[in-house]
Amino acid sequence: MTTTLIDTAAHSAGHNDKLLLPHWAEIVKIIPEAEGVSTFHFRFTDPTVQNRYRFEPGQFNMLYVPGYGEAAISMSSDLETAGGLLVHTIRHIGNVTRATSRLKVGDVVGIRGPFGTSWPLEAIEGMDVVIACGGIGLPPLRGAIYRIIRNRARYGKITLLYGARMPKDLMFPAEYEAWQKADIDMQVTVDRGDDTWTGRVGVVPMWFYHFRVDPHKTAVLTCGPEIMMRFVIYEALARRIPSDQIYVSLERNMKCGQGACGHCQQGPYFICKDGPVFPFKALENIFNVEEY
Amino acid sequence: MTDSLDLKIALQMIPWFNSLTPEHFNKTAELTHLRHAKAGDIFFREGDKQDYVYIVLDGRVSLEIFVPHHGKVRFYTAEPFDVFGWSSVTPGMRQRTAGAMAVLDSTVACIDAEGLRNFAEIDHDFGYLLMRRLANVVASRLMVTRLQLIDMFAGPSEPIND
Repeated sequence: MTTTLIDTAAHSAGHNDKLLLPHWAEIVKIIPEAEGVSTFHFRFTDPTVQNRYRFEPGQFNMLYVPGYGEAAISMSSDLETAGGLLVHTIRHIGNVTRATSRLKVGDVVGIRGPFGTSWPLEAIEGMDVVIACGGIGLPPLRGAIYRIIRNRARYGKITLLYGARMPKDLMFPAEYEAWQKADIDMQVTVDRGDDTWTGRVGVVPMWFYHFRVDPHKTAVLTCGPEIMMRFVIYEALARRIPSDQIYVSLERNMKCGQGACGHCQQGPYFICKDGPVFPFKALENIFNVEEY
Repeated sequence: MTDSLDLKIALQMIPWFNSLTPEHFNKTAELTHLRHAKAGDIFFREGDKQDYVYIVLDGRVSLEIFVPHHGKVRFYTAEPFDVFGWSSVTPGMRQRTAGAMAVLDSTVACIDAEGLRNFAEIDHDFGYLLMRRLANVVASRLMVTRLQLIDMFAGPSEPIND
């Protein structure tokens, strides 16, 4: 496999024993986002750790809830926008993430990280960018959106396609207006609407029918249910966007975060270390295989 | 005259009409009128038998089905250049199985479906183009329906050990 994977500086040092030890972080704010989803703002209790902690959008941390264990959670903001706080948006769906739903402001969790690769925001400068995400796939891209907005002139046309199951499931709706004002063409769609919903009803991949792309200068960043990403990729490839300009964030059961334990191995890759963000070119041989 | 000119200019913007010969274009234009609908205006209801196929030029039109105890469930919105009411063009489908309502102020091209079917019978070159475009519409609508049916944003069916 000769495909170049993403090299994220913060992670490129490889194996690091220090990253096996969690640092304690206090919850300073909790924002309910949608049913079963909350955003947590953390501050490390050790000021030295707090001051030196850096990450890139798309990377993840291992969150440790004492008595329950660890779960891999992507960053859902960036340090600049969040005033130096670490922000994670968590869907309370597994045993650890359900335990986080019972946490309160002032509680303390363990955090290891950052791990993994990030969205290639420097590599795609100068290009048009299509951000296609669904459901809880928006939080791992929100930091990238903030970064793009802060450096808006470095990018061409930005299109954000976002889908959710129902209107009440949409993440961060209070921010959409600001994103549109930052010259992001935002298209929101839901699988099912009611008679109070005047927005779009449909699915994210179909929105490729509604705009034209210049394939050689367009990059696609996608995150969400894998079935959605499969069709997003299909539509992007159908528009002749090269597979090395399509970036995918994968989710697997990650444990060590450093490619040592093998829990998240997918073909030749460890998702925690070689991913979670991959150029689709690296996944072509396995992504379209049934039950891969 | 102005209305006819406006109609032709509007139809020329529609990708569906690209690559039609002038004869086919003019014939289709003869079968078409524009409707300017206000938000809340109804195009058709479930069970209606009116015979048009529609193309949205501007605005948004919702397709919805009334489900007992759930009210109207909106399952698709037709955006500019989307086709709706396409089953009118297929033989044998004459009763609306969903309702269509403008959710925003909308301009819609309404094409006489019986006229289209008849013209397609007489001119098979036109009929082939019509059916090819219709197949694309049906395929895309099927893709949307599959993804909605999968309920891709639902939680996993098995407990997660995260």
